[in-house]
This record gives sequence, structure tokens and C-alpha cells, in this order.
Amino acid sequence: MVEEKELITDDNIARVKDLLVCMESGNEEDAIEIIDELTTIRETELYQDMGKLTRELHDAISNFGMDDSINKLAEQSIPDARERLNYVISKTDEAANKTLEAVEESIPICNDLNKQALELHATWQKFTNRELSADQFRQLSRDINDFFVNTYEISKIKDHLTSVLLAQEYQDLTGQIIKKVINLVAEVEDKLIGLIQITGAPQVETKKDNDSSGLDGPVVPGLEHKDTVSGQDEVDDLLSSLGF
Amino acid sequence: MKILVVDDFSTMRRIIKNLLRDLGFNNTSEADDGLTALPMLKSGNYDLLVTDWNMPGMQGIDLLKAVRADDDESLKNIPVLMVTAEQKKEQIVEAAQAGVNGYIVKPFTALILKEKLEKIFARIG
Repeated sequence: MVEEKELITDDNIARVKDLLVCMESGNEEDAIEIIDELTTIRETELYQDMGKLTRELHDAISNFGMDDSINKLAEQSIPDARERLNYVISKTDEAANKTLEAVEESIPICNDLNKQALELHATWQKFTNRELSADQFRQLSRDINDFFVNTYEISKIKDHLTSVLLAQEYQDLTGQIIKKVINLVAEVEDKLIGLIQITGAPQVETKKDNDSSGLDGPVVPGLEHKDTVSGQDEVDDLLSSLGF
Repeated sequence: MKILVVDDFSTMRRIIKNLLRDLGFNNTSEADDGLTALPMLKSGNYDLLVTDWNMPGMQGIDLLKAVRADDDESLKNIPVLMVTAEQKKEQIVEAAQAGVNGYIVKPFTALILKEKLEKIFARIG
């Protein structure tokens, strides 16, 4: 607020005395002039007050926007964060698919080698028990040779394992991106609190909104989850308590 | 044994399909939500339904309820295994009341899947 300008000054007292004299003598013209003077003094004060308030409000609003972060948040950071999060989805998707592909290609190789080894071992035991004919033995030696050739496939499994290993790089990248988004969310929170303080709106405790699906999704360690089970054992306990 | 795997995430479908194959179930099909799953179930003569809960379109719980309310006796009684990240007690109870045969929470292991399937098949003989 503007400081109250001194009203009772010698000048003003003189004006009021003059006004009284003018009115008593019926000099309306001069009386109006003096009243106008006095009014102007009051109005100037009022305008100064309003001017100062307007400037304060303007400063507050422009400081709020002009520390440039709020504009940046709205125009850049938030769309940017969306992009980043989409990138996280695509990176994790890519990694999962790469890993699955490697595993899906490795499993049949393992199954084949495993089956062949079991068969060879069985036949080999027959051989050591002298239960094989000469023809069967020749077949066994061909099978053993085939088996050796097939074991070269193990190098493919090794390649697949390496690609599974490399696919894990997503953790580093997505971790960094998510950290940035967490920082952004904290910044938005700060700005929102600032905005609420500027508008003078009371801070109300609001009810936590669920997303449109109404489902909670995965339980995140460290967040509060009401009435949830933690893990399969508790699910099983709950179900068996229901007579499952 | 013909199995329908319903999940909106293709990687999760793929994981479940691989685990099922490992357990000796090779005849599996996929659907990405209840709306696509239901017509498949009606025409496909499936022996088991494995479904997620949270999916766009039609959710797993609604698919379960729709199946249990079906006129076709064999579809109505199909074993349903729910594999989901939903861990709220009231949801588990809701699924149980809707007639689910097994409930697995994500993340899960191959062993848990095996146990639950064995339990389901043991019960239906």
C-alpha cells in the first residue's frame, strides 16, 4: 500500500480556511475551485495506490511467467516429457521383443540337442552292454557324428545370449529418461503451488483421482496401496479363505 | 488342449505362450482384449482361457462374466486363469465370485503358472 499522504498540512489547512471564507461570502466559483483542488489531492493518492497495486500484480504475473520456466514447461518440457515417455515405451518394447526373439530361437536348439543327447546316451549304454548289432553300431557312429555337427548350433545360442545381454541397455537409457521426467513433475508441482499462492486460492486437500479405467495397475513399492495383496502367496491365501 | 491367451501387451502374450509351450501346450491363440477374444471363444472350442484384467475395449473381468453367462454349456464352463497386475483384495474377490479358476499376479514365474494350471486341471479332472 502507498503510504498515507499527510492530509493535515499547512497548505491544506489554508485551503480549508479559504474554502470557508469563500462559502460564507457566497463566492461559489472559488469555493468549487478549492473543492476541486482537494479532490485532486485525494484522487492522486488513490491513483498512485492503484498504480502501485497494478504494477505489483503485473510484476508478480510476469515474474511468474518470465522466469521463463513456466512457458517452457507448457510449450516445451511437457510435450518433451511425453516424447521421452513414449521413447521409454518403445525402448522397453524393443528390448522385450529382441529378448523374446533370441529366446524363442534358442529354445528349439536346446530341445533338439537335449533330445539327441538323451537318445545317444541310451544307445551308448546298449553298446556298452554289448546289446548292439554291427548295423546298429554303424548307425550309432553316424548319429554321434550328426550330433557333433549339431552341437555347432551352440554358437547360435551364444549369439542369442549376447543379444539378450545387449538388449538390457534399455535399462540405463530409460532410467535416465524417467529420472528427468520425475524432475519435471517435481518442477510442475512447484509451479502449481506458486500459481495457487498467487491467486490466493486456499489449498484444498483433493481426493486422489483414479485414471479412467478405475483400475490400480501394478503395485509400486514405496507408494501407498490400500487393501492390496503383496504377491502370489497372499492371493492364494485370500482365495483359499474364500473356499478356493 | 487349445488355449486362448488374452492380453493387450504383445510381449506378455508372447511370454505366456512360450511358457505354455514349455509346459507342453503348443496349441495357443492370442487376442488383445475381451472384444476380440469373445467371438474367438464362441467359435473356437477352446479348453482354457488365460486372460489379463486391465485391457482397453473389454476388460478381463467382463470377459470372464460374459463367458460364465454364455448359453453354450462348454464355453460357460471353460476354465479361466486370470494373469494380472491387479492386486486389490476386492478385485480378487470379485474375480473369484465371477467364477475364475485361478488368479496369478504379475510378475509371475514359470513355476507359478505350472502350479496353477495343474491345480485347475486336477480339479476339473
